[in-house]
Amino acid sequence: MSFAAEAIHLDGESGQPIRLTVTVDNTHQSLTGPGLHWPLNTIRELPDTAGGDLVILSRTENAVERLILKDSAIRAHLPCRRRSAPVANRPLLLKWAAAAMGSVALILFVLVPIMADQLANYIPPEGERALGQVTLNEIREALDDSGLEPVRFCTDPDGLTALRRIEARLSGEADLPVEITVHILDHEMVNAFALPGGHIVFFRGLIEQAGAPDELAAVFAHEMGHVASRDPTRHALRSAGSIGVLGLLFGDFAGGAVVLFLAERLIDAQYSQTAEAAADVFAHDLMRRAGLSPGALATIFERFAALDGDTRTFMQHFMSHPALGDRIERARRAVPAGLLPEPLMGDADWAALQTICSRTARN
Amino acid sequence: MSLADPSSAGAIASDEGGHRVWATRFAGRRWPLFKLVLGTGALTVLTLGIYRFWQKTRVRRWLWSAIRPGGYPLEYAGDPLEKLLGFLIAVVILAFYIGIVNLLLMFASFALFQGNYAAYALSLVGVFPIWFYARYRARRYILARTRWLGLRFGLEPGAWGFAIRALWHGFLALITAGLLWPRMTFKLEQYRTNRTFFGETRMHQDGRWTMLYGAMKWHFINLPIAFGGLICIGANEALALPILTLGAVLWLYAAVYYRVETRIRLTNHKRAGALRLRLTASPLRIFWILASGHTLALLVSALPTLILLGLFLELQSLETLVEMGLENTPPIFAGLNRTALIALSVMAYFSIFLVWTACTQAWVTLPLIRHYAQGLEVIGTEAMATFGQRPRDDHPEAEGFAEALDVGASL
Repeated sequence: MSFAAEAIHLDGESGQPIRLTVTVDNTHQSLTGPGLHWPLNTIRELPDTAGGDLVILSRTENAVERLILKDSAIRAHLPCRRRSAPVANRPLLLKWAAAAMGSVALILFVLVPIMADQLANYIPPEGERALGQVTLNEIREALDDSGLEPVRFCTDPDGLTALRRIEARLSGEADLPVEITVHILDHEMVNAFALPGGHIVFFRGLIEQAGAPDELAAVFAHEMGHVASRDPTRHALRSAGSIGVLGLLFGDFAGGAVVLFLAERLIDAQYSQTAEAAADVFAHDLMRRAGLSPGALATIFERFAALDGDTRTFMQHFMSHPALGDRIERARRAVPAGLLPEPLMGDADWAALQTICSRTARN
Repeated sequence: MSLADPSSAGAIASDEGGHRVWATRFAGRRWPLFKLVLGTGALTVLTLGIYRFWQKTRVRRWLWSAIRPGGYPLEYAGDPLEKLLGFLIAVVILAFYIGIVNLLLMFASFALFQGNYAAYALSLVGVFPIWFYARYRARRYILARTRWLGLRFGLEPGAWGFAIRALWHGFLALITAGLLWPRMTFKLEQYRTNRTFFGETRMHQDGRWTMLYGAMKWHFINLPIAFGGLICIGANEALALPILTLGAVLWLYAAVYYRVETRIRLTNHKRAGALRLRLTASPLRIFWILASGHTLALLVSALPTLILLGLFLELQSLETLVEMGLENTPPIFAGLNRTALIALSVMAYFSIFLVWTACTQAWVTLPLIRHYAQGLEVIGTEAMATFGQRPRDDHPEAEGFAEALDVGASL
């Protein structure tokens, strides 16, 4: 079986293409032509060539020399035409991969947290409030399902009056560095959180699920704990630093958004564990001083746990606070012996608070 | 002779004033590219983005090999692993910059200005020089990995010089309300072209910046229309909307016209040794490719988007059932449990992006390159034997910065 075909030889030394006839020499296992001798097992075909009309060959000994053929029958004579080149610079690649991972880890888990913690102490109160306001608006936009307007605030006046009662009772004892601003968002999520600058946000879902006023007070006290330790400010500054780095890492491609979200959540969960425990301790103490039972925190946590079991979703798995059981246990142990809680409000106030979202406003 | 051959293929080669002229053939078709982009895109998703370096390499190899001046295909000799390495190097350097600088800017912006707009503005200003730097480095890498007739192209180092000039000329264009924009276009292209090599032969950008002024034609035509529309906002609102719409469309066309026309004029004044270039291209045709290609891509990607919407509604109704305590009642969509629905939604979400990129490559990128390629002629090719090889440019960080900053190295 012999093979001969017209070809163009690019010698890689000058730009002059040379027309010649190449033949497969079976006895020497090589492709030969005038001034050309390529051993068959050194010949590779360039992959991903458009048009399908050309076979472009290279050989392993020379990086730039090429043969261009139109006769695709040549392929049958080339045993190694698809073999890929060995990986050059493997140690270098591994070194930089390790360096990249190391520097990202260093930045995400050491530098950014340390700097955020330091800077949080220096940010002036107005700046902190503005940061909280911006974050609140971002959250309202993000939680909106309709795509029409941000999640609305609940503004029923009687409900607000009842809520103020809880606030007044707690803040009298709390001695916080900033003034508290409370918002109720008209959203079914069973959750509450604190934002930089003393913003505390409750969701309608939480207010509806709570069994008694002191359960809400317990959550309130917990969030005040976050405000006291400036966790939200540190958190917001950390996010500002880490979001950019994660975006850099995963690129802008399809996966970016999702991976970014999950990674951010995971980091969040990791560094908020100690912060949560500290806020719990703050809440136990504050509840006792305000004449309320820290056990209420355990009660509302148990409600979370029960809810979580019913409708555990993909998202909630990442968002749920870690080790809820331990926290319930600690709240129970914080109840002083023989405590007689002073009631927070009457039944009418409580009913008004639970229906605080019967009126809503955009701002 | 069946092969593309300058001496015999009349369609490819012609004579002009004693010089041999090669026309350029484009050998790629849409469907193979669509399949290539879709397949490599799927692999990219499955590998959490790591395959994107291979995807980029393979798509470029394909596109380069389709462009055939004189019948000889260009070759893209980039290596995915060197791209990965370059990206890792860029991550090491940029992670510090982005992490720490973003954090500091956020702090400063809220501490001093009580808002985050200052941070965005400042970080944008900070990114500008790096962005131009990255663009130049990316071009250097791409040229270093591009070959024609077995000869390497090359670009001399000079990325910071480019970034500084880009900022200066950009500033001049800004303070003259765009009147010096053609000067910026010319000077930057001249900077790059005069540092470009084909083999060991340096290229030159001839001509003057004023020759680009004609490319601003449609911007000047559009000026009274835009003004008229703005005046109408105050005087006659019913008239303002159609006039402003017309102005916006014309403005888009003017931008395309400027880009195409400057490219033609600049290309026609480039030379490398005895070689000269000639480009013919139609701004209207380019405008049509951009408009129709993107419309088509939008329509096609609407399909997975609709599927995703449907799945979302299904998930919502499932949630409602659970909330109402009715999760045990037999659902309408029997057999599909929640996990499967979520998996399907995630797949639909990714396929929107995959289909979008594959469509834009097949219906925008390919026709654009084809149009430019088919209008490109190389004059003076009888002197090909005088061109010699240049040594390899190792360029260790490849286009890592461009990749990391997503400057869209324009292929």
